[in-house]
Amino acid sequence: MKLAPTREAEIVEELAQHLDDRYAELLAGGATDEEASRAALAELSESQWLARELRRVERQLKHEPVVLGARRTNMLGDLWQDLRYGVRVLRKHPGFTFIAVITLALGIGANTALFSVVHAVLLRPLPFPEAEQLVWLGGWAGNDKEQGVTPADFLDYREQSQSFAQLAASVSEGVPMNLTGNGEPERLKGALVTANYLDVFGVQPALGRTFVAEEGQEGGERVVVLSRALWQRRFGADPAIINRTITLDKRQLTVIGVMPPGFQYPPGVELWQPFSFPASPQNAFRSRELHFLRPVARLKPGVTRAQAQAEVETIARRLQALYPKTNANQSLFLMPLQERLVGNIRLTLLVLLGAVGCVLLIACANVANLLLARAASRQKEVAVRSALGASRGRVVRQLLTESLTLAVLGGVGGVLLARWGVKLLVALSAANLPRTDEIGINASVLGFTLAVALLTGLLFGLVPAWQSARLDLTEALKEGGKGTGSSAQRHRTLSLLVVGEVALALVLLVGAGLLVNSFVRLQQVSPGFDEQHLLTVRIDLPNPYAQPERKALFYEQLQQRVAALPGVEAVGLVTELPLARQSADFSFKIEGRPALPAGQGPHADIRNVNHDYFRAMRIPLRKGRHFTEAEVRDNAKVVLISEVLAQRFFPGEDPLGQRLSLGSLSQGAYEIIGIVGDVRHRGLDGGLVQTIYFPSLRLGYSNLVIRTATDPVSLAAAVRKEVMAIDPNQPVANIKTMEQWVSESVAQPRFRTLLLSVFAAVALLLSVVGIYGVMSYVVTQRTHELGIRMALGAQSRDVVRLVVGQGMKLALMGVVIGLIAAFALTRLMSSLLYGVSATDPATFAAIALLLTSVALVACYLPARRATKVDPMVALRYE
Amino acid sequence: MLDRELKKGSAELLILSLVEARPRHGYEISKLIEARSGGVLRFNVASLYPLLYRLEKRGWIQGRWVEKAGQRRRRYYRLTPAGKKVLASQRGTWRAFVEAINRITGVEHA
Repeated sequence: MKLAPTREAEIVEELAQHLDDRYAELLAGGATDEEASRAALAELSESQWLARELRRVERQLKHEPVVLGARRTNMLGDLWQDLRYGVRVLRKHPGFTFIAVITLALGIGANTALFSVVHAVLLRPLPFPEAEQLVWLGGWAGNDKEQGVTPADFLDYREQSQSFAQLAASVSEGVPMNLTGNGEPERLKGALVTANYLDVFGVQPALGRTFVAEEGQEGGERVVVLSRALWQRRFGADPAIINRTITLDKRQLTVIGVMPPGFQYPPGVELWQPFSFPASPQNAFRSRELHFLRPVARLKPGVTRAQAQAEVETIARRLQALYPKTNANQSLFLMPLQERLVGNIRLTLLVLLGAVGCVLLIACANVANLLLARAASRQKEVAVRSALGASRGRVVRQLLTESLTLAVLGGVGGVLLARWGVKLLVALSAANLPRTDEIGINASVLGFTLAVALLTGLLFGLVPAWQSARLDLTEALKEGGKGTGSSAQRHRTLSLLVVGEVALALVLLVGAGLLVNSFVRLQQVSPGFDEQHLLTVRIDLPNPYAQPERKALFYEQLQQRVAALPGVEAVGLVTELPLARQSADFSFKIEGRPALPAGQGPHADIRNVNHDYFRAMRIPLRKGRHFTEAEVRDNAKVVLISEVLAQRFFPGEDPLGQRLSLGSLSQGAYEIIGIVGDVRHRGLDGGLVQTIYFPSLRLGYSNLVIRTATDPVSLAAAVRKEVMAIDPNQPVANIKTMEQWVSESVAQPRFRTLLLSVFAAVALLLSVVGIYGVMSYVVTQRTHELGIRMALGAQSRDVVRLVVGQGMKLALMGVVIGLIAAFALTRLMSSLLYGVSATDPATFAAIALLLTSVALVACYLPARRATKVDPMVALRYE
Repeated sequence: MLDRELKKGSAELLILSLVEARPRHGYEISKLIEARSGGVLRFNVASLYPLLYRLEKRGWIQGRWVEKAGQRRRRYYRLTPAGKKVLASQRGTWRAFVEAINRITGVEHA
């Protein structure tokens, strides 16, 4: 029947009210539930009459404009009508609407926030033209470690390969540089690159130009290109910067260009300076032993990555044959540049995205539960609408419109939450997330949210709507006895939803449990030193300190000045801090043992330290003695070795007094004078690294580690002042406590553990609310029956057992299904775990127990309420 | 069918008189009719509401939603001034009609 929607809603409301009153009165008069509802619905028995009469009355004053040729059934008009009706219904139940919208907003918001990260980091191509042609090349020596490429090999590859439109390289992935003049001295990450480096990416400079080939020749290198960020920060975005000179590492360089915003490759680099390959074969940039170049390339159009890989391997074999001493097993492997950038965070993000997806599913199940329970009370409304002439499809459409309205409201709330969530995610992820500047809520993310919201609305709305609309008038009238068909079906659906919810929650909880377990183990790993009360400061000496003696002098002065500060107990110096994942891997030979073929001999990380390093770090001395100050000053031919190196290469013999030499840095043999405890150089989750410590201060860069009696942070300013006192142009960087380094080294595990735990907690909460809600509903429905049981002599205990038993049957089914699913799924995340197997039985058991006990409480509360039923009330019903 | 037609003819008068003293809602009206007629007259949803709406359209009664604390809102109908006049005239007509019937059928009142 066509009526103005507001009028229709009013009529429906009034008639439903009437039926409710009738129903309540019949109940009060002693009728059973079934009799009462049958009698109440009988009021509608002459529904044809009602519709006809109403039509006659309402037609009289109809103001609907008549549109010529307009069909009476109008999808858009219906939709509008449904929307207005739906909004009215939702506004009439603010409590229900609020809970449903909040639940959905949380679910959709979490998904939107995480998707915006996944979209920016994993899905969107890098912001370069034809970014899919960009590849990253890693050196590979047949083991599981990737390394850089030697300059000599790089030149050979560049000459001989046909697959690349451009092949370029940077020194490492950026090197520290000191920028002076124009204010405070500053330490930056800069890149030393081949002249064609910036052209590989196909990005035009925002200002000026990139390098020309001559600038990559010996003597032509005194030019520099700035990143936009540096140009703005340091030079006030002055367009006249081109052709001006800046002082970098005490050398004068001419600025020739500024890159566009967002271009920062290698990651974090703020300026680019070309390097050359000098003719002199002694130069490091001609070496075939030092693996310090990091190549990137653009494939020629039409060349696939596999073709390029095959060609590179052919060249590698040629080089292996030509230079067996240095190139044994050496090869290159190609990787899409994007994969290289995001590889280590990819799995974490996918696991988290899966987790929020589960949370949303649970939220859907809960809202569906709410709708189903409400469908019972809306039965009469639906009956009236059918009596007014609405077809079943029409009723389903109406109820679905309501669900979708809820979902869209939830989506809007979700986007608002996500804006805040994205900031939180980026802040939490610290420096572990690449491409953070590209993360945001954009059109694609909003499209995703809209799709998710609509899908969600369909998901939680379809089943309740369908079931409500099943209510057939005559069927409802005919049906007597126990439980109408629709309510039995409703129970089945509710049960299924509970089982599903519990299963999903269990999967998430197991995942979170494994991560927490693994994180706790990671935290328990001893780094091999005492990280408390340690301040670290990084100092990079620029080139004018060319003579090693001058460098040593600088560090010696600094060490003495800092040691004299009040509260300082010991001052250590070391080339690379522990946990920094920096490797300086060199092969070495032990005197008196047969030489092994290249690439198969022993190798170790090397560190240069001063005499007090081990005392400052509290790294234990296992055997022998420390370096003396004189040995450090003279670069004496002595070394300390780490425990694991001693065990591996000197099993059953005394390493003290033995001598070893470094292959490539052959400066004679070094005597082993002591063994020190192992330190986790590759992070807490990294293995123990065999390490050789040399006594030296003739270093281009070094880290001060200062053991303090008080809060180490309080010394930062004083240390900076001492550096300035020696050289006012010398910047210091990374003033951090060692505790900060330790904490940062587990930032990514902490990030994923924290997030997955939060999602799992939300899942637990939602599913418990779900169980509680369903059991409460079931108890209300069975009040009458339970009352009679009690009147017949059942104890409270029996009633509790009955209700809890019913609930727990569902919960346990969920737990079992969840365990099976978790068993299948957690192995996907095994590479994120440390010290715990992906199917750790203890975690599985603990989580199953936790969920079962929480479910028990959620069932017990409604069960206890059931025992409060007064048997007299129940008797009166009969 | 006769029964229904009879009810319909007199129903307007019944409803108007029931809301004369004070506003009542639909369910209350149906209960009152049933109670005061000793169960002889019964209106169900299908017969009562179209009647109410018709009377409202004619401007004889006016419905208003009233909300009471802790309850769902209900629609209360009250007699309008126009309805009052109609009621008075219908009462007169009805009385005359009943008298006439009585006279014809010879039923004597005490």
